[in-house]
Amino acid sequence: MAIFKSSSSQTELAVDAPPVKSGAASRKQFMQRLKRDKWLYLLLLPGLLYFLVFKYAPMWGIVIAFQDYSPFKGVFGSEWVGFEHFRDFFQNPDFTRLLRNTFILAVLDLVFFFPAPIILALLLNELRINLYKRTVQTLIYVPHFMSWVIIASITYIFFTTSGGVANEIVGHFYGKEINFLSSPDWFRPLIMGQIIWKETGWGTVIFLAALATVDQEQYEAAIVDGAGRFRRLWHVTLPAVRSTIIVLLILRLGNFLDTGFQQIFLMTNSLNRDVADVFDTYVYFVGITQGAFSYSTAVGLFKSVVGIILVLGANKLAKKMGQDGIF
Amino acid sequence: MTQSKKWSKNKVAFPVLSAMLAASLAACGNEEGGASGEDGGSVDSLTIMTTAYTTEPPAEDSPALKELEEFTGKDITMNWVLDSAYADKLNITLASGNLPEIMMIPTKLPSFVSAVRDDAFWELGPYLKDYPNLSQANEITLQNSSIDGKIYGVYRARPLGRNGVTIRKDWLANVGMETPKTIDDFYNVLKAFKENDPDGNGADDTYGMVISKYTGPFDVMQTWFGAPNKWGEDANGNLQPDFVTDEYFEAQKFFKKLFDEGLINEDFAVMDPQKWGDPLLNSQAGVIVDVLDRAHRAEEAMLQANPDLKEPIDVFGAVEGPEGLFNLPTSGYSGMLAIPKSSVETEEELKEVLDFIDKLSEQEAQALAYNGVEGVHYELEGDVYKPLVELNDPVANEFTDLNQFQTGIPENRFYQEELTPLIEKEEQVKLDNEEIVVPNPAEALLSEGYAQKGQQLDNIINDARIKFIVGQIDEAGFKDAIELWKSSGGNEYIEEINKLHKEAQS
Repeated sequence: MAIFKSSSSQTELAVDAPPVKSGAASRKQFMQRLKRDKWLYLLLLPGLLYFLVFKYAPMWGIVIAFQDYSPFKGVFGSEWVGFEHFRDFFQNPDFTRLLRNTFILAVLDLVFFFPAPIILALLLNELRINLYKRTVQTLIYVPHFMSWVIIASITYIFFTTSGGVANEIVGHFYGKEINFLSSPDWFRPLIMGQIIWKETGWGTVIFLAALATVDQEQYEAAIVDGAGRFRRLWHVTLPAVRSTIIVLLILRLGNFLDTGFQQIFLMTNSLNRDVADVFDTYVYFVGITQGAFSYSTAVGLFKSVVGIILVLGANKLAKKMGQDGIF
Repeated sequence: MTQSKKWSKNKVAFPVLSAMLAASLAACGNEEGGASGEDGGSVDSLTIMTTAYTTEPPAEDSPALKELEEFTGKDITMNWVLDSAYADKLNITLASGNLPEIMMIPTKLPSFVSAVRDDAFWELGPYLKDYPNLSQANEITLQNSSIDGKIYGVYRARPLGRNGVTIRKDWLANVGMETPKTIDDFYNVLKAFKENDPDGNGADDTYGMVISKYTGPFDVMQTWFGAPNKWGEDANGNLQPDFVTDEYFEAQKFFKKLFDEGLINEDFAVMDPQKWGDPLLNSQAGVIVDVLDRAHRAEEAMLQANPDLKEPIDVFGAVEGPEGLFNLPTSGYSGMLAIPKSSVETEEELKEVLDFIDKLSEQEAQALAYNGVEGVHYELEGDVYKPLVELNDPVANEFTDLNQFQTGIPENRFYQEELTPLIEKEEQVKLDNEEIVVPNPAEALLSEGYAQKGQQLDNIINDARIKFIVGQIDEAGFKDAIELWKSSGGNEYIEEINKLHKEAQS
């Protein structure tokens, strides 16, 4: 309960500060506004409640990162240890390995997966026949609705060395089967392949929406000026969706270190663990299977802090380069 | 400027909204408090959290569960959790603080141990003697299941000598070989199973032994070589972990040889343990090293699929290595039933719950859990037990997992199927195994360091072992992994175990 009181008192402080000058008058004005826009405020309420209850209230749990938390002593009974868990984590030999693995996967994701929906959306945008375009669009959304468990199972069936189709083909042409599933070298390509297969189609939705807003007259003008397809793409289409791309890029950077727990967890085994262990799976192993709640919270918090820094940095950079940014 | 002023005035709405929010949430809180507050008095209803092995464990309306409720006089609510996710769910439940009256604890998980030390569970040791069945619990097994020398859970008894080898008897005959007696024999049989076409179909479609991601078979086989069971004594009488011994490494080299020659399945490191038995049933592989019960289950399944087979399966305990005949025992128990203090608040209630657990060992309760309901799932012809449903029949799900909160203390009293020769042999091998098991001297010891880092430490060695077997690292790489293990907290772990061991002996 304490959390709600403290958060409400905080907002009160923050909001009470400005209207110091003429308290009574502004209060009157406020009441009038409240009365006038009461339905709008009411509409706002559920959204506000959602964020307070499901996003802000649980954040209180972060305090256990600075405690030696035991569920049976509770937050108030557990011992405070300050930054001990963070120190342990940074000094742990696992830290560099986790950071490297997470970072490599994140960069690969940005380089290979992030542009994929853009390219696909641009290609779809060039299609002439509407029926064909719509059909393709609908079909490529399908993989998004499959769970990672199913996708991991499909991958296993395809790539296993005991009768997997992919391996049969490789064996036929290459003369030798490759142990995709247990080879550390193939782990990252497999992960990237899975993400691209699953999410590219779905990712096009937002870009196609942005492309739909491009003024048709600009294309006509470009045609009159003698621009070919590629020139039109370069000078009309891309500038039109540039801000969308940048906003999505910034948002993506906020989740930069989120590597998708389920997917990685399902694809990890003894032989590729060296390259497969990332922060998300580490938090699971240490927190859920070993019950080290405080320590894993500290790891998770570290990840979030990195995410915030990246978002703010990218936003600033975007503004410097003359783009809008997100805030 | 004016714009921003307006905006800030609009924001005055916040305190009002937050006040409303706080009020509505406070109301919620009160309601919950009221619901859980009405505890106390006698225990009429019990919630039990335990493992389920089928996706459809007995539901509320299962006739077997209903009869069990009648027999024990308690209203039982089951909280089934699939075995594969049990440890996760258990940790989350422990963290949530909303605990059932009876919790099955599969092993001494770090989170359970720390909960015990935070005084969250009842110490049961002093009470057990008051109950007719529980008072007959095995002292050594109690000792093994204890935490800091005290009993916090009623163990679920399992036979000590439960591990062994399941082998295709007809294949042995086809390649003209005897049941292996030594490790060399064992190797030759595996080789023959791969190369001599044991199924006689003319195709090269068989191999020796199937192994899955679950590394239990390696643990069993390395004891054949004389490797200790997790901990062994070095020359100075100090305890050392198994993987620093020469015997252990000899065993790894043997496994590597098996892998290199294709005598075990190439994809074992990624194979789902649930599919582990399939190659044996499909006549691709001829050997599985696992619990002995697998043998008759495999035989039943194979005979069902192909009634022409004659005694396809044989079973034996272990083969002889350079240092003698050894086998890996179980801990004598598999999990324990613990009673949290938050749900069972008073000593009177605790006694009632213990009385319930004690009653579960009565013949009627055991029969309900293992055999089902008479007339529905089985019938008795005189003294002979006749099952009416096959084990893989969905109807069997009405009772099968009910044995997951059975302690089996002091003994199994449910109806046994008419013994087939194979089951009889399994029982004999179990008894023989007890003569040759290698005990773990540190079984009852509980290391603080292991509680914190156990999973990571185990992973280091386990991964290195698999990598060595498939050839990703060589002997030097394996030694590096041992050094990494030591520097990641293993040295402290060894020291701690030795200290605890000396304390326990004195």
